[in-house]
Amino acid sequence: MRGTLAVARYTLVDLSRRRILLVFFIIGALGIAAIGIGLKVFSSTLVSVSFSGSPGTPAPDPAKINRFLDLMFVTDLVGALGLFALLIAFGIGLTAIYHDLESGAAVAIFSKPVSRFAFTAGKVGAAAAAMVVIVGILSVEAALVGLLFGGGLEQTLAIEAVAQVANALILMLIVLALSTWMNNIVAAIVAFIYNTAGGFVVALHNQIAAGNLGDSAILKGIFTVLYWLVPHQLTSDAPRELVRAEVELFAVPGQPGPDVSQAVASVPGPSDLNDILWWAFVVIVFASLVYVAVRRRQV
Amino acid sequence: MAPVVSVEALRKRYRRRDPWAVDGVTFALEPGQAFGLLGPNGSGKTSVVKMIAGLLRPDGGEISLFGAKPGDPAARAQLGFAPEEPDFPKFLRAREVLDYFASLLGLDEDERKRRIPETLAFAGLDQERRQVRQFSKGMKQRLGIAQAILGRPKLLILDEPTADLDPLGRRDVRALIESLKVSGVAVLLNSHLLSEVELVCDTVAILAKGHVLKEGTMAEVVPEGRTLEDVFGELVQASAPPKHDNLPSFITDQENQ
Repeated sequence: MRGTLAVARYTLVDLSRRRILLVFFIIGALGIAAIGIGLKVFSSTLVSVSFSGSPGTPAPDPAKINRFLDLMFVTDLVGALGLFALLIAFGIGLTAIYHDLESGAAVAIFSKPVSRFAFTAGKVGAAAAAMVVIVGILSVEAALVGLLFGGGLEQTLAIEAVAQVANALILMLIVLALSTWMNNIVAAIVAFIYNTAGGFVVALHNQIAAGNLGDSAILKGIFTVLYWLVPHQLTSDAPRELVRAEVELFAVPGQPGPDVSQAVASVPGPSDLNDILWWAFVVIVFASLVYVAVRRRQV
Repeated sequence: MAPVVSVEALRKRYRRRDPWAVDGVTFALEPGQAFGLLGPNGSGKTSVVKMIAGLLRPDGGEISLFGAKPGDPAARAQLGFAPEEPDFPKFLRAREVLDYFASLLGLDEDERKRRIPETLAFAGLDQERRQVRQFSKGMKQRLGIAQAILGRPKLLILDEPTADLDPLGRRDVRALIESLKVSGVAVLLNSHLLSEVELVCDTVAILAKGHVLKEGTMAEVVPEGRTLEDVFGELVQASAPPKHDNLPSFITDQENQ
């Protein structure tokens, strides 16, 4: 425990001074502020232009425009948070263990009375904590920027941020595990391909399960096997809620509009207990792979 | 007296098709003894000490470190290891590196407050505020020795400890080894600097291509009227295939001059 805490503490100090993470954080913070402020300025301009619109054209409802921009903001924010969580996962995963092993720092560390398990636990714990803190701060900033708009989706956004951190954690563990076996750039490329392929597999599996891609038993079987070989992206009900809100916003009273339930069904639904349990299992598997890689490593 | 470390028929190779990097090395080291491990580049010296420190897995033979396996944390708590070309987490400062390693060694707060400033002063790094990534090779080497002695080890392994040090630094390391020997600490010294080894070591082993060519006390290895450098040169050359003209022709060619 003593060794784990020491490794975790000084890994956090080391990570906090790495410029690449600082750059990702600053870009993320500025990006989120820019999305919010930009959309607010855009909405103010659009509303004032709409009110003085050409004669004969019915003026759009300013409340509707504001609500639409609010939804757009949240959609962009979810995307931005996911993107920066991934970048930070790469940034931490590529450096936290790899640099110690490659620079020779591990030679001095492993000659001390610390087990490889304690070292791995400290590194993984510190890397996860660093990611939660960085993405957490970005999420708080997003919530504050959200106050510029009417809001109403803060709760959804908070749960989505947790899901994004959980997904990024898996990616970070994959990068950590791979970077103890191979060059860290190659590890990043392999992890990116695996993660992207995993995303496609899960999306296609969901479409097949919903019957959107025919009824082939072979296809179903293949994708069921593949589905249980890759991490499942966790998601909140945010994507569905956003689609539902957008469809309802533009529904004209008294006229048949698009089918809300059909539109919502095409969007991935919130993760259930099985997904969360699978996520926990995958975390354990990849954390164990990091440990095996560190244990086998000769320095 | 029980040896602090004993090595029996130690073997190591890095790939199956490679020749043995270490082949049948045997020696033992007792408290208060300074043991010099000598050999040309690639002779297997660093592989031997890394196996003793539990950093490399041997492919054969036995190592006993304080009566335990090298991987045993309790045994490693009594070991100080200053690696060749040491490095540390790049964004930490010297004081933080020592505090990190003191935590790994399980030193309490009072002991850390006492030992860290004194160790930094010994290493000449007490005024240093920069991060390790901005250190010179010599500064890293000083920090490497500092972290090795921080736990007050009973066995100190120094792998080429003075390669990047200035003459004053070398003198400090010699004084350190002498002082540790007197207090009963065993020292295992890997060095190319034969004069240095001759000054501080009681026993030596000369390695080439993973084999021990000669081992014994300094008096046994170096006969009266000879130097360690003479003996080392003869043994190593005898174990290597005869070399002809080592200098490139463009250096020796008269026409180019």
